[in-house]
Amino acid sequence: MKISTKGRYGLEALLDLAIHSQNDYISIKSISERQSISDNYLEQLFGALKRSDIVESIRGAQGGYRLSRDAGQITVRQILNALEGPLALVDCIIEDESDRCDKFACCVTRVLWQRLMESLNSLTDGITLADLVSSHKRLNEAKAGEYYI
Amino acid sequence: MKVSTKGRYGLRALVDLANHSSNGHVALNSIAERQNISANYLEQVFSTLRKAGLVKSVKGAQGGYSLAYTPSKITIGMVLRALEGTLSLVDDTEDKTNDLQDRSVQYCIKINVWDKMTLNLNNLVDAITLEDLVNDYKTMTGTLSSMYYI
Repeated sequence: MKISTKGRYGLEALLDLAIHSQNDYISIKSISERQSISDNYLEQLFGALKRSDIVESIRGAQGGYRLSRDAGQITVRQILNALEGPLALVDCIIEDESDRCDKFACCVTRVLWQRLMESLNSLTDGITLADLVSSHKRLNEAKAGEYYI
Repeated sequence: MKVSTKGRYGLRALVDLANHSSNGHVALNSIAERQNISANYLEQVFSTLRKAGLVKSVKGAQGGYSLAYTPSKITIGMVLRALEGTLSLVDDTEDKTNDLQDRSVQYCIKINVWDKMTLNLNNLVDAITLEDLVNDYKTMTGTLSSMYYI
């Protein structure tokens, strides 16, 4: 019952991008160096983020990625859905009707799993990339302040 | 991000047990039949649940399993922790801490996202008991069977 490396590294890389890009394109290589994630793997993750329209890219020497919209308009749920799929703890609540088991209609545990997914959905709907950027800023300021004590 | 078969089947089997245990011990075979889960597999799952102190077993012809407490005292959190281990969405041991120049991004995500999601899940499953699920079941099946009369 874990978020995969895809979700974890992808969210880290995207926060790094949001912190370092003042609307300009950032190279995968620089994110890879700062976050110690292989650039091949980052290419895959950003491919998925691009397909979900969370980032946009340009090719070439000055190329790279940037957010496709304001960080306040990008939620953690959108990011995790792009990288991990739905936040479902079991498959039967996201499968097509044709794949459902014959107990689907009266399965109380299915209702429980749905409640858990809905709860995680609304929690992650409420956290934007901009929230993470400002929290990161506060954390760093607090850390910098320590040197003056 | 999935709960294992053990957690899924185990929870279903326990709801079934809670629903049928008014008349003493329940044989695993009967749960296996109703829930369409192999009896061998249920043996393993119930052995884990017994070690966790959630069910009791009686051997012999009239033997079987019963809940160790009333269904209102057993939370879904207790069941899932017994079957799945700690309910956390990321492994702390998987941190790639040491070779990282800047851990602040990781830490920021941990406190703002992973810890909150984990807390959210734990709070929710700790607030729901087996009794709640049995009641849900009765409501659902009651609704379903009344549909035949329309």
